[in-house]
Amino acid sequence: MIAWAIARQTVNEALRRRIMWVFLISGVALIFLMPLFGYLTAPKDSQTVLRALGLAAILLAGLFITIVTCIYLIPVEIERRTIYTVLSKPVQRYEFVLGKFLGGFITVAINILFMGVLFIFMLYLQSLKVGLDRGFFACITSGTFAPEMIRGIFMTFFQMLLLAALTIFFSTFTTPIVNFFLSFGIFMVGNLSSVTDSLTTNSNWLVRGTGTVIHYLLPNFGNFNIQNALIHPVAEISNPNEYMRNNIVYALIYSAVLLILAIIVFDRREV
Amino acid sequence: MASNTVRYPQDMTRRLPILASACVALFAASIFMQRLIDPGRQAYHAQENLRTTQAAMGGLNNEFMLLPLLGFREAAAGLLWVRCDEFFHSGDYDAILPLVRLITWLDPHADNVYITGAWHLDYNFTDSSERSDRRYIAPAVGLLKEGIANNNNIPDIKFELGWQDFDKIKDFPGAVEAFKMAIAGPYGDENIFDPAKNHTIPKDQDNEGYWPYAGPLKDIHMLAHAYEKEGRLPDAIATWDHALERSTKLLRDKPKDFGNKSMHDAELHNRAEILQRYYDRYTDLNHDHNNPSKLPAVHAAAANGGGKPGPFDIALRPLIEVPRRYVLKVSGRVNLADGGRIDVRISDWDYKDRVSDKDLRALQPPDLGQTILIDSISIRKDKFAREMDMSKDPKMYSFSNKLGPDKTGLYKIVLSFNTRTTAPHIQDYAGWSGEGLTDAQPGRVFYVSDEAQLATKMIEGEGGKGPVWDGKAVPFPFYGQPPRVIRVTYKINQQQVLGNKPITDADIVPNDPDTTIMLK
Amino acid sequence: MAAAIEIQGLTKEYIDIWRKQRVEAVKNLNLTVEEGEIFGFLGRNGAGKTTTIKMLLGLLFPTAGDATILGKPMGDNSVKSQVSYLPEETYFYDSMTAWDLLDFYARLFKIPGGERERRIRISLEKVRLQPEAWKRNIRGYSKGMRQRTGIAQALINDPKLLFLDEPTSGLDPIAHAELRDIVASLRGEGKTVFLSSHQLADVELICTRVAIIHNGKLLVSGTIKELTAGDVTEITVQGEKLTNGVLPKLEAIAPVVRQGNGTLQLRANETEKITAIIDTVRGAKGEVLSIVPHRRTLEEVFVETVQKEEGV
Repeated sequence: MIAWAIARQTVNEALRRRIMWVFLISGVALIFLMPLFGYLTAPKDSQTVLRALGLAAILLAGLFITIVTCIYLIPVEIERRTIYTVLSKPVQRYEFVLGKFLGGFITVAINILFMGVLFIFMLYLQSLKVGLDRGFFACITSGTFAPEMIRGIFMTFFQMLLLAALTIFFSTFTTPIVNFFLSFGIFMVGNLSSVTDSLTTNSNWLVRGTGTVIHYLLPNFGNFNIQNALIHPVAEISNPNEYMRNNIVYALIYSAVLLILAIIVFDRREV
Repeated sequence: MASNTVRYPQDMTRRLPILASACVALFAASIFMQRLIDPGRQAYHAQENLRTTQAAMGGLNNEFMLLPLLGFREAAAGLLWVRCDEFFHSGDYDAILPLVRLITWLDPHADNVYITGAWHLDYNFTDSSERSDRRYIAPAVGLLKEGIANNNNIPDIKFELGWQDFDKIKDFPGAVEAFKMAIAGPYGDENIFDPAKNHTIPKDQDNEGYWPYAGPLKDIHMLAHAYEKEGRLPDAIATWDHALERSTKLLRDKPKDFGNKSMHDAELHNRAEILQRYYDRYTDLNHDHNNPSKLPAVHAAAANGGGKPGPFDIALRPLIEVPRRYVLKVSGRVNLADGGRIDVRISDWDYKDRVSDKDLRALQPPDLGQTILIDSISIRKDKFAREMDMSKDPKMYSFSNKLGPDKTGLYKIVLSFNTRTTAPHIQDYAGWSGEGLTDAQPGRVFYVSDEAQLATKMIEGEGGKGPVWDGKAVPFPFYGQPPRVIRVTYKINQQQVLGNKPITDADIVPNDPDTTIMLK
Repeated sequence: MAAAIEIQGLTKEYIDIWRKQRVEAVKNLNLTVEEGEIFGFLGRNGAGKTTTIKMLLGLLFPTAGDATILGKPMGDNSVKSQVSYLPEETYFYDSMTAWDLLDFYARLFKIPGGERERRIRISLEKVRLQPEAWKRNIRGYSKGMRQRTGIAQALINDPKLLFLDEPTSGLDPIAHAELRDIVASLRGEGKTVFLSSHQLADVELICTRVAIIHNGKLLVSGTIKELTAGDVTEITVQGEKLTNGVLPKLEAIAPVVRQGNGTLQLRANETEKITAIIDTVRGAKGEVLSIVPHRRTLEEVFVETVQKEEGV
């Protein structure tokens, strides 16, 4: 309950941050203007480009929103000393960390949800087959939803969950600017999952060892990149549900690891 | 940095081991989950490359492209090159080409990639008998030219182009131009050996006193060899002189350096050998040298202005049989000493290189529907024979053109003997330009009329006077004839390739006016 | 009476690895605060007052020593529900209103919904924050309003023990007096207040006991009366001959506190000495300008104690 109270307060504060709005508006604008970028004569090709742009916009905006939201959550409390009046109350330090994480992640989730809804809506609009001349109702109901896009948004959601946990962990002992580059850098390297995976079977033992360490130690954000199959529905993937389930479990477990580490560090942090 | 030894509250101390254990356990669980996910992700990505890009890229995942997006273009290029190396070792040559294209796109200054890529294209695409696939030579040339355009300030790629012309294609005029380019550098001047005359190039004391770009000595050596192969002996001798000038300086600076000494001696030897050969072949001066050849045909030709008793009739009598489908046995008799070789070309009647000299776009995919084979058969005891089994490599030798009245295909077989590329002991009586040879059969003597090759006439050197020998100026005899080869061309059809109809002398046609067809 | 705070050998040492320096912010502090008293904790800037408070509240961790808060070990989370803290600067979430802020803090105390509203109301009324300001953003508050909000959040959980760090600093005289009175009234409610302040007049007025700390070390502690004991009479004298030979005689009787412009100021705490001074001055044809009974102030005690420690 205390963590939840802290989370609520965190969401209120985070939603007021201007930098978050900058990225949200950029993402929304990109989604809104998607049809202009994706104009192609063949509607199927247009849908393909729109899907690609939309998912990319959500991922990109989500990435920056997550990082810029989470890097400040704990350091700002310490810097502005608002943490004194919180930790002097019967609040366990782990409740504080979890509350901050929850608050940060809920903020990110709100943003992704908003962009996701807009994205699905824009896709639907683009798919309308009947013009307004045939009647508003006929027009508006002539489109097709792309429910598989929700899968993509979901994957981005869990990717950002993992990233939020990573950022919160770093924020317990680094400054926001260092955290920004660390989190961003690890996100990039973590996206090279297939590359690091291929290193684990290299003939050279040193390469193999290093590759194995990197592949399992760093969070594998690349697991969540399933955009291609969603953008090109003709490509079939076997067991997509199982794959998604495994990824969600991975995200939850790895996030828990990071949060425990954050708690261990923050327990010992003097404020 | 301030730190302090502290005493933590009891509840914090108590929960540390619990938290640490939970962390380790969950991390182990995450590794377990990742191992479950990896096959799924691989399978998922496998769906992306059923046939095209990634299969062509040797299963390379496009996540590598993330590196260039982060600004690590060169790092990505480097990693891809490491990957390419693995394919070299495993023999998966098809995977290399698109990677080479990608790497040079990412990093246009990866000179080693251009060089190795071109080498690979020239030599590693082979049939079952280790014969090179000639269709890849044009893309290799394009690749090197692109590399030169992107790296005009280093000699390495230019040297490689020269070497390709010299060794693989046997285009000696082309090799000369490339080696000159390598020596001249980015400034490209006629006076490549004389910096004093070259006003645009400043002198660089660190670089043996030559311009900053000075090509290494090996470039000069190869230029001299190329000149000699081309038959431009005065130019070859002049080039050895320039090399000697440099190596003398090097030897003076480091007199005990064995490498410098060997190089200097080799240059002296090569220069002397050209002169010796020249005198031996074209004059009656046998100063300290006995001409062992049985027929001093060249000499006789010189003395008689091309009259009797030379040139020598090599009497090329080829025979082409087709014991099985797509298996051509090329054999015959020829009056030439052991050590000589008969060049053979079997190709589509209308075979054309895809890339012209003007096209700088590298790695234009060759038309793999075309058929070409170039080989050479050694002569033993006046005979030559080789079975060219093209049935084992249907992809290389598809014999699938649709020429001819019945559109089943027309093909060309060319047998050629070129004194320019033959052994020295045959050149001794055949001459560099084939002056000492002929074939009584009509249409067999073929004059190379290609403009670049024409320039390789024996011309007077050293200001019109001959070199000085024993105090006497020896006039260079003038041979106005362009190089000539002994060549015979067959035109055959699909039925003959399949062995359903014999190949006879009736199939012999006039030689192709394209004099460079044996070069590609 | 039970001790609300008991500190034994509390030490906080910082080690600067790069400069190879050790800084002892708090040195072996021993202190007891009884329940129900308002305890003044005095010291110069950087003396270690805030460090001590933060250690007691678990915001910092001690290098050595122990303390108990309301009978529980320092840093124990459960005791914090009966403790509150007002930091030196009012560090609050500016985008919140006072009401929302107190609601947030009340949640941290797990105070249930209906009770929360009642407590917020009581706290805000107690600190006399205008009702129309309750639902305005703190960003727009004056210093006085922020301090009132700060005290309100310190009262929200009806604590037994309050840590107040400079509750009246920077306030106008009226607000100052009001808040001082609020703090003073807490004693009447049976609360214990640990008050860190530079406003020595306020401390002297409302505190039962005080301690003076300097460079992390406790110099002196006791009731106000004990510390300021020793009333003196200040005698100001003037005269030409006083400085010629009479001065030593006067110094033998009482210390000369100030000298200048032909005047001398002496202090004596016994009637005989006062009489002897007067006689000596008059015998030297000097003038007694004034005889003023002077009670020692806490400020004087503070300055004397600290300067003595500093070797001035």
